[in-house]
Amino acid sequence: MPVINVVRQVLDSNDRIAGGNRALFDEKGIYVMNLMSSPGAGKTTLVEKTIDALKGRYRIAVIEGDIQSTHDAERVARHGVPVVQINTGGGCHIDANMVREALPGLPLDEVDVLINENVGNLVCPAEFTIGENDKVMILSTPEGADKPSKYPLMFHESSVMIINKIDLLPYVEFDIVKAKADALACNPELVIIEVSCRTGQGLDAWVEWLTTRVETFRKGRA
Amino acid sequence: MHEMSLVCSLLDIVEEYAGRHGFSRVKSIRLSCGSLAGVEEKALRFAFEVASKGTRAEGASLELEVLPIVLRCLACGAEGVSEDFPSACRACGSSETVLAGGTEELRCEDLEVDEVERPCA
Ligand SMILES: Nc1nc2c(ncn2[C@@H]2O[C@H](COP(=O)(O)OP(=O)(O)O)[C@@H](O)[C@H]2O)c(=O)[nH]1
Ligand SMILES: [Mg+2]
Ligand SMILES: [Zn+2]
Repeated sequence: MPVINVVRQVLDSNDRIAGGNRALFDEKGIYVMNLMSSPGAGKTTLVEKTIDALKGRYRIAVIEGDIQSTHDAERVARHGVPVVQINTGGGCHIDANMVREALPGLPLDEVDVLINENVGNLVCPAEFTIGENDKVMILSTPEGADKPSKYPLMFHESSVMIINKIDLLPYVEFDIVKAKADALACNPELVIIEVSCRTGQGLDAWVEWLTTRVETFRKGRA
Repeated sequence: MHEMSLVCSLLDIVEEYAGRHGFSRVKSIRLSCGSLAGVEEKALRFAFEVASKGTRAEGASLELEVLPIVLRCLACGAEGVSEDFPSACRACGSSETVLAGGTEELRCEDLEVDEVERPCA
């Protein structure tokens, strides 16, 4: 029986759409971040803190894909930035096509930084690029330190890992040395930043990292 | 589950190749992915069974080759297959190892089909 050679990534079509998104973001000069974590790790809280820290400097917009809580988009909108809610229809990740369809809802000519809050899930979002500059992931201390060894792909794909809820370190069992070592084994280039969105500790380091990335992107275009 | 998205994209690829080469049925589909790629084989098969109904791929067998975890040692440079991740270097015992294989995305390798009108399209 005849065999047809294909040799193609199954998510090729996602990658192509993501490439289209990327071209549009480049044309408009928009730095794009894909924010991923387990449910409840602190994505929406970090988005809120990031907006407050950077909104004097950059024009920020948010695509809200998290379906764990219906309040996320409202929480973010209260910080005075444009937000579009994606309905993933029960899906466990956002993909490039969903982002493409959400874009007409945003004033792209007036956006410098676009934050995509992905669905709370440590597995699937890592596979679907959306045209982002950086994948940013959050690991929170109550989740335990075994996550990098259980779900290496997300750690492998991310530019930065935020260890959130370090205010809870005295109360939870979290081997931070192991978490960092295993995460770096997935990805030696991974930048690790410890923060508490509750106390504000470490947020300045996060904001500095992000600002540097945005500025590098803008210089590359100029 | 994301397996459904994977299967939908896979069926798109099948249609694209059917348009190009002119075949009517697919007998088997050969796939590969890394063992750490987060692809759940059972869920993939189930999603395929459901989504391929009524398409030219209905009833096709799925062959999934799972690619091994490969670790590279930062201490001695050895690179080799490993059962586990994370784990120490097999050559020198160092725990300074990084992932060098096993996260490959799901890939469609080839399609076995009934007959081909345009083999070299
Ligand atoms: N103790 C503590 N709680 C936090 C921190 N960051 C977020 N939370 C709480 O964790 C819960 C989930 O946060 P949320 O931002 O909605 O998580 P998401 O599901 O990832 O978007 C909320 O009750 C937050 O107030 C932190 O640094 N420390
Ligand atoms: Mg949220
Ligand atoms: Zn070694």
